Amino acid sequence: MSLAIVDYSEYWWIQIIKAIVIFALGLQLVPLVLLFERKLLGRFQGRYGPNRVGLYGLIQPLADIVKLLGKEQSRPNTSVGALYILAPTISIVTAVATFAIIPFGDAPHIFGTRVGLYGVDLSIGPLYIFALSAIAFYGLMLGGWASGSKYSFLGAMRAAAQLISYEVSQGLALVGVLITAGTLSLTGIVEGQGSIWYIVPQFAGFLIFLVAAFAETNRAPFDLVEADAELVGGYNTEYGGGRFASYYFAEYLNVLVVSGVAVTIFLGGWLIPFWSHQPAWVDPFVVLAKMSIFVIFFVWIRATLPRLRYDQLMSFGWKVLLPLATLNTLVTAIIVVAVHK
Amino acid sequence: MSAVLFFIAAAGTLAGAIGVITLKDPFYAVLALVGHLASLAVLFLLLRAEFIAAAQVVVYAGAVMVLYVFVVSYIGGQNLASGQGPGRAGTFGAFACAGALVVELFIAVLGSGLRAIGTIGGHVAVGFGSPEAIGSLLLTKFLVPFEIASYLLLLAAVGAVTLARRRGGLDDQGDGTPTISVMDFMRPRPFGTGTMAEGFGHAEALSAAQSERRQERES
Repeated sequence: MSLAIVDYSEYWWIQIIKAIVIFALGLQLVPLVLLFERKLLGRFQGRYGPNRVGLYGLIQPLADIVKLLGKEQSRPNTSVGALYILAPTISIVTAVATFAIIPFGDAPHIFGTRVGLYGVDLSIGPLYIFALSAIAFYGLMLGGWASGSKYSFLGAMRAAAQLISYEVSQGLALVGVLITAGTLSLTGIVEGQGSIWYIVPQFAGFLIFLVAAFAETNRAPFDLVEADAELVGGYNTEYGGGRFASYYFAEYLNVLVVSGVAVTIFLGGWLIPFWSHQPAWVDPFVVLAKMSIFVIFFVWIRATLPRLRYDQLMSFGWKVLLPLATLNTLVTAIIVVAVHK
Repeated sequence: MSAVLFFIAAAGTLAGAIGVITLKDPFYAVLALVGHLASLAVLFLLLRAEFIAAAQVVVYAGAVMVLYVFVVSYIGGQNLASGQGPGRAGTFGAFACAGALVVELFIAVLGSGLRAIGTIGGHVAVGFGSPEAIGSLLLTKFLVPFEIASYLLLLAAVGAVTLARRRGGLDDQGDGTPTISVMDFMRPRPFGTGTMAEGFGHAEALSAAQSERRQERES
């Protein structure tokens, strides 16, 4: 894919190193988020959370991963072998690929050459995210179908319906920002927020995006996909061991990706208000700090709100969120045209 | 590098297309179509058409094929009755259409495409195929087709809503059955109500309406 801004080029070895660093970063962040969530949930529910493995339970995720990878890989007799194995791989590949375009900073000089602190800066930014989330659907759908179990199948069907319904609103919520910024490049969008973050003029779009993001990542209160009271565990009911771990990994990486996208598009990415000349090494930490705010918010909502009913989910998506998102796009377009005249 | 990618994607495209028409199980045929469309998107990327590639994946692999997968997995795979088959006239018609298509493609390729082999290819301006270029073309040169297509989509959406409108459930049934509004779960519930109470209330109202109707019929 070609770069959006072609005023500098990177050596091939820099791109390989970046690919490894991004994957390693994602891999390290997910256990942290996992622990963070369990600890916070414990506090919300008036208990301690994991506190036995390591100091304050700090290496609990490590123990979980070792346990999951050490388990026997079993699968039901009714399952379809090839697809059953392929499905979690699709989920994890799309999650990591989306993580690659989140910008953690500008393109500073490192070792005498310019290195963009992101995997690749695409000219189609958000469209790439939606294309990959469209493919991620097949990870859930094939997993549920290939398991050969009705609980998995029902979970996968819910996932399909939910993803289709909320993807539209999520996309439309971003259109307002894209119209304002006049670019699809994610670094371009961040640079466009120098004077004011887009969360202020696009607050309605931000709220719509946030609600749709909960649905897209299958998080509470939109976690009907894995509603354990009625579906046992949803699309991943029949999965165990390493394959279950891949689904779990993809889910939490998706939470991080959505936080990263929200930070980039609405919260000014690596920008700090009233401090325009920060050193370049601060940028990634600013982005990570802002992302962690979103992660806390995700956990907070999970601990607070009960799960929606299925018809409520659907009618909310189509009858409230979609008209609001359309209205937001229309109003933004009219204002932008009026101001530019 | 791009040559390797091209051959992988081209093989994927052909394999997907052949899979769609040869695989017996509709579910696998649909998956083959998804693979075909994804490989086509890679070919678009190699042509520097990122926007078309992304649109291809979002619209076809992401929206259209999702519905196919949805329907096929609901109504079952192998149990689907394959019907009578096309018959002799149908078979002849299919072969005739395929033959006409092959001749047409050969005319197109031999008549125009082969001249470009050995040259450096057409001139491509900077930004060709970018979202900006496509957007400005759609709103200037191709404004009328663009508007017509948008009306078509609007009609399709309105038609879908009209066809899918169902009676009961969230709509007012006119027989005193309590209806659920979307806004109901946004405001706090009165004390002593909840999902269970709501369910029971619904059942009670329904049976009350039924007994009322029965009495009317008897009297």
